[in-house]
Amino acid sequence: MKKMLSLILALLMVFSLLGTVHAENYDQVVFSYATFNNIPTAEDLAVVEEAINVITREKIHAEIKLKPIVIWDYSSQISLMLQGGDQIDVFESLGDFNVCVTTGMARDLTDMLATDAKEACELVGDDWLAACSQKGRIYGIPTLKPIALTPMVIYRQDIVDELGLDMSQVNSPFDLTEIFRKVKAGRPDITPLSAVNTGNIGLGLTVPHVDYLSDDYYSPKGVLMNGEMTVVDFYASEEFRKACELARTWYNEDLVMKDAATTSSTAAELRNSGKYFASIASYSYPEADTAASLELQSNGIKLGAKIIGSAFLDTTSVNALSWMISSTSKVPEAALKFLNLTYCDPDIINLVIYGIEGRDYVKNDDGTVRYPDGFDAASVPYTAQLSCGTFGNFFLMYPMEGTSIESLAWEQEQNKNAETSAAMGFTFDNKRVKTQYTAVSNVIEQYLAGLICGAVDPETEIPIFLQRLSDAGLGDIIAAKQAQLNEWLAAQGK
Amino acid sequence: MKKQKGLGRGRASTWQLLLIAAPGLIYLIINNYIPMFGVFLAFKDYNYFQGIFGSRWCGFENFEFLFRTRDAWLITRNTLLYNAVFIILGTMFSIFLAILLHELGTRKRVKFFQASLLLPNLLSWVVIGFIVYAFLNADTGFMNNTVAKALGKEPTNWYTTTGPWPFILTLVYLWKYAGCNSIIYVSTIAGIDKSIFEAADLDGAGKWQQIIHITIPMLRPTVVVLTLMAIGRIFYSDFGLFYQVPQNAGRLFDVTQTIDTYVYRGLMELNDVGMAAAAALYQSVVGFLLVVGANALVRKLDPDNALF
Repeated sequence: MKKMLSLILALLMVFSLLGTVHAENYDQVVFSYATFNNIPTAEDLAVVEEAINVITREKIHAEIKLKPIVIWDYSSQISLMLQGGDQIDVFESLGDFNVCVTTGMARDLTDMLATDAKEACELVGDDWLAACSQKGRIYGIPTLKPIALTPMVIYRQDIVDELGLDMSQVNSPFDLTEIFRKVKAGRPDITPLSAVNTGNIGLGLTVPHVDYLSDDYYSPKGVLMNGEMTVVDFYASEEFRKACELARTWYNEDLVMKDAATTSSTAAELRNSGKYFASIASYSYPEADTAASLELQSNGIKLGAKIIGSAFLDTTSVNALSWMISSTSKVPEAALKFLNLTYCDPDIINLVIYGIEGRDYVKNDDGTVRYPDGFDAASVPYTAQLSCGTFGNFFLMYPMEGTSIESLAWEQEQNKNAETSAAMGFTFDNKRVKTQYTAVSNVIEQYLAGLICGAVDPETEIPIFLQRLSDAGLGDIIAAKQAQLNEWLAAQGK
Repeated sequence: MKKQKGLGRGRASTWQLLLIAAPGLIYLIINNYIPMFGVFLAFKDYNYFQGIFGSRWCGFENFEFLFRTRDAWLITRNTLLYNAVFIILGTMFSIFLAILLHELGTRKRVKFFQASLLLPNLLSWVVIGFIVYAFLNADTGFMNNTVAKALGKEPTNWYTTTGPWPFILTLVYLWKYAGCNSIIYVSTIAGIDKSIFEAADLDGAGKWQQIIHITIPMLRPTVVVLTLMAIGRIFYSDFGLFYQVPQNAGRLFDVTQTIDTYVYRGLMELNDVGMAAAAALYQSVVGFLLVVGANALVRKLDPDNALF
């Protein structure tokens, strides 16, 4: 019995030695990303991994394991796996940068960036990196992609042609009223404006120059407006009142769908029903590209797009999608080096997005790519194409067939030229005002949808709304934001 | 001395019974007792990597949000009143259905009605929410398009008018649950000794008198047990009913907001595990106290029927 035991122990030792020898050769990095596409089978995935490893073994002395997770499960899965001790080295902060940092999931990268991710840092620039910091320490690298979201109205080209409307004169939501009236008169069977999602007809985001200071776009609390450094109540502003009044006008004249505040249909469903003329939302592509990409899923309805506002960048627009190294990673240097490659190595990033050339995609002569004949996104062995906007460097990816290459230049311009908040880089820590946050969130849920969709009269409802907000403690939130902002400004030496 | 003897004898003769109960007990321990460590969370400032026990203690900070605002009164009132109405009307309606089912006589008819009464219980709240929406939709709903027109009335915008909602919610609740709950009463009625009814028949008691004087008194123990159990959950609300059925319409919050929906809406953005745990603990503790209190009351009035 004893002999047997020692034999087993000896064998175990040999195996574990073998294991370490193997690991000593190359650092093993687990790269986990969210995908909108199907999860590939282990065999199909292994082929892509091997192709990546051929590059990484040489360049950064590491082997990569890909771990795609369905987008809807991503955040909870990552948090559970990290708690459970599973190896995840590189992951993305999907939406909630602050939570990843305050709960201790993300590693402090400040001192590693210069040596292990030099190229990525140069590409994204100091301003964007600063947006991924908390209390002066950097925790992530933002995805380099078109992040400037420009408000646009998406409309049915066939109706514009039929009624002879001139969309080029539309430059703000206020110009839409006339167009909508003409649509209503010319095509009484159609409602001019549909909702984008529940309780949102798109007007909220057309209010220009708002820094949401780490809040959800659909539930702003204290914000910065018009370049001032004083935190204000968004709902008490002139701009908000005007947007509500506009919505009310549309509602009273039947220019907007009546149950916009409660509908659970999505913009695409409503558009495809053929009963609506337009919708308002923000997109990161040029007008023509936006319309073209929406047309792909619009049942053959011809669409047009017109910009009706300007893009504005604040901290959240940059750090909503940033890449992090887990605090539990045993190979943080290798992980960061690999992350760096997704920003500066076109071969790596295209392997992750499109898989193997010839098997998963083919190249066209003009530099764009498409799926092999007889295959589509759902049937190729590997693709993560729908997640293209979430990985390292968007501008190094092969464009899909149908998108124009010039658009990339426009998008890069927008990123550079879009107006940027003076508080870019500031993140708000809501720890001290959590109680007020829950109460205020509830009040906003109760009133905002009705107001911004025109279902209630702003003249009587806004004062009640403001009163309820202040009862719920919005003042405390604004004061806390101002205090943290002042501290941040002082630290910046501004 | 007597007690000891009882215990000893119990162990000797009931191990088989314990064995039978074991899967249930193990399930109860794994599912209901082990997770109770989670109550620590209610007093912790939770950090994923410090874990439940490593995180900082924060006293009653996590509970604050339940009491601080004027909403606290509103959500407590809504939760308690709706549940009280549901307990009273729900019980009455279920007994009513059970008696009707029992009086149907032939097996086939009983089975048919029982199955159709059960059907709503199998639908999820999301589906029911949309059935209600089909009735109440502002533009195309049945109520506005057909009923209001036929009666010559102005259409109502149902999802912005608070008045009718307490009735709508109660109606939907009864529609979904009364059929299912009546099954327990049907089986209790079926278990009543037939000879009692025969004797009453001989004495000249009519159907109505039999129901009043025999069936309902015989149901009392069941009613007491079920009501006590319902009181234990009086601080919980049926999330689907209050969230899905009103389509999350903000204008209706004054009459549809309950503790569960409030916590859900408030924490959607914060994702705070500690505060969610605090809300759940608060509900459980109040529910526990109410059950003990109600049971004490029952014991005083009617000692035979008390639960413990």
